[in-house]
Amino acid sequence: MSAPSAKLSLSELPWLPRPPGNLRGLLAALPADPLQALSALQSLAQAGWGEAELRSIGRKLRGIAKSAPANFHSDARQQGLLPVRLLILSASTVSHLADALIATAMRFRVLLDVVVAEYEEPEPWLDRNRGALQQNPPDFVLVASDSRMLKLASPLDDAAAAEQMIDAALARISRIADVATAATARPIILQTLADDPDATRFNMDLGLPGTARFLTTEFNRRLARQARQGSRLVLDVNALANLVGLSAWSAGRYWYAAKYPFATVMIPLYADNIMRILASQMGRSRRVLVLDLDNTMWGGIVGDDGIEGLVLGSGSPLGEAHAALQRMALALKQRGIILCVSSKNDEAIALDAFRNHPEMVLKEDDIVAFRVNWEDKAANIKAIADAIDLGLDCFVFLDDNPAERKRVRDALPSVAVPELPEDPSDWLMVVQAAGYFEQAAFSNEDRLRAGFYKANALRAAQMERIGNHDDYLRSLGMRLSIAPFDGAGRKRITQLISKSNQFNLTTRRYSETEIAALQSDPDAITVQARLEDIFGDNGMISTVICRRTEQRWDVDSWIMSCRVLGRRVEEAILQHLVAEARGMGISEIIGRFIPTARNELVRDHYSRLGFVQTAADSGETVWRLAIEGYCDKDLPMTVDLRRVEEPA
Amino acid sequence: MDHASEKLSSSDAILARVQDIFRTELDDDALVVDLGTRQKDLSAWDSLAHIRLVSGLESEFDIQFSLTEIEQINSVKQFVDAIKQRG
Repeated sequence: MSAPSAKLSLSELPWLPRPPGNLRGLLAALPADPLQALSALQSLAQAGWGEAELRSIGRKLRGIAKSAPANFHSDARQQGLLPVRLLILSASTVSHLADALIATAMRFRVLLDVVVAEYEEPEPWLDRNRGALQQNPPDFVLVASDSRMLKLASPLDDAAAAEQMIDAALARISRIADVATAATARPIILQTLADDPDATRFNMDLGLPGTARFLTTEFNRRLARQARQGSRLVLDVNALANLVGLSAWSAGRYWYAAKYPFATVMIPLYADNIMRILASQMGRSRRVLVLDLDNTMWGGIVGDDGIEGLVLGSGSPLGEAHAALQRMALALKQRGIILCVSSKNDEAIALDAFRNHPEMVLKEDDIVAFRVNWEDKAANIKAIADAIDLGLDCFVFLDDNPAERKRVRDALPSVAVPELPEDPSDWLMVVQAAGYFEQAAFSNEDRLRAGFYKANALRAAQMERIGNHDDYLRSLGMRLSIAPFDGAGRKRITQLISKSNQFNLTTRRYSETEIAALQSDPDAITVQARLEDIFGDNGMISTVICRRTEQRWDVDSWIMSCRVLGRRVEEAILQHLVAEARGMGISEIIGRFIPTARNELVRDHYSRLGFVQTAADSGETVWRLAIEGYCDKDLPMTVDLRRVEEPA
Repeated sequence: MDHASEKLSSSDAILARVQDIFRTELDDDALVVDLGTRQKDLSAWDSLAHIRLVSGLESEFDIQFSLTEIEQINSVKQFVDAIKQRG
């Protein structure tokens, strides 16, 4: 038996590896070259540092960014770091969060810049700074309201007054969000309220209108619903306070001394949650969970102990813990997370356990890819990534064995590998708190995603059988349906635009509000495309935005899901664009490729489509297609056009 | 990272760690403080920096200052004394 682990503290982000040493020494040894220093800081930032250390790392990063050469941002971009600016509006003190956020952002491969408006009601600040905001808008706005700013209070046992109080508070938040949206057109993040630590609390209070507990709870519930309807993002501060306990969360002395909204030891957890939301908006959430089998998915070693010897499910506390882990994986699958298995085992024996152990929660069918063999796990995870066409930075790897975890972390630094406590009964709490799979919206596509990847495996088998790629494509009976952007597709359009990194020509991100605005913009030409075939519906898989200037269309954004690579969809979409352009008397279409660390795939996109290169500047290329010169192609799919009715 | 605990009680050892925290929190790697340094001597030591110093020292020494101390401390010596008291 191994020694019992120390008591878990979720505010210390226990899923991260522990710090590699004394930060002061590590910072003193940083390379002088700004880009090298940045890399070193990025790898330092992977550890679970405390609040003070995070601030030191953040301050260092700020210093580097300030004194760096002019091309620093584009160089950082080449390293896979995305520059992002966050505006925080708060009536309390928040400037002390900025450096910790900047350090935390490195863990999410984001080069963050934080602008803070504090000690002041957000409304006058927004008014005063409207011009500056419009000129140089932040990428995200966080409305960091708290119970001290909103001062919810109403007479006890007066339901109508309580309702009015909450209406007024919600209207105020809405107004702030609207003003911020008008000034920036960027995504707005709203906060739920932690319970007021100073309030009187009786056990009955949740049901008594006018108590602090009643008002806060009602406010939070309605805020979250309103946010979902209005496409605002939510940072659930109340859930964070619940996770660690209100007494640990609340600032008490720090509030009295400096108007800090919550305890400083909670800053790493708070910052991590903000970054999860930002990451989810930038296509940087994790989407694949790779599970080890022996002593992770079940207790025991199936090759040695046999199916009947496995510890799983009812009858043993340890077996219950492993079954709970499987239930967690299944729940994630329902959120659109792809489940895979990587295990050192005999494949036949492992599959036998899936098929025949009565307590297995996960079935063979729930797993999109199995890599069960005696090879290196890092190599297997890489093979899974290639097989399902998703980047390693979407992957989370769960394994009970510290040596395997370290090996995968060293070999594949972009894979998230949570540290797991000794005791499997503590695993779920840690993995759930790590929030790797954060999503800010839930679309039908998410529900169906595992099915899409399964169907792709069937298509691969068909391709193998037929051999000739063109015959294979024709055998799929593909139907592409094309329409301009509309309200019904808006959630998925936004999701594609915010999540796609590989087949993405310009990597321009747009919020739902901006997408809605495009619908009524007379100079915007928009395309959303869905693809169906004999193996099923692939869902919405491509979006294009063009902007018209006189006789010219500029392709602002062209995105396609990698699920349908090699199916000639992009050619069909171009054919559609050309036909539309002809109808409108357009003479040329101009395309642009802006390189990032992740879109190498489409470097030759326009060249393959017959565009001619007209300009190149530091990796960025510009391409032109003359409408006159385009000849229609015979493509292996039928195309349906769905037009949106003109409003009367 | 570890400082032998018997050496903690000496003012010099504490002062060295306090100086490290001051350098970090006041963002000045060359800063030198001694027992004679007062808040009014350092322009960077404003009220926000004061709370950062409190927070940084609390986590460095794993202690908690009282509200009265937070309010009244205005010199390096007072910080060192308050830390020593908890030794």
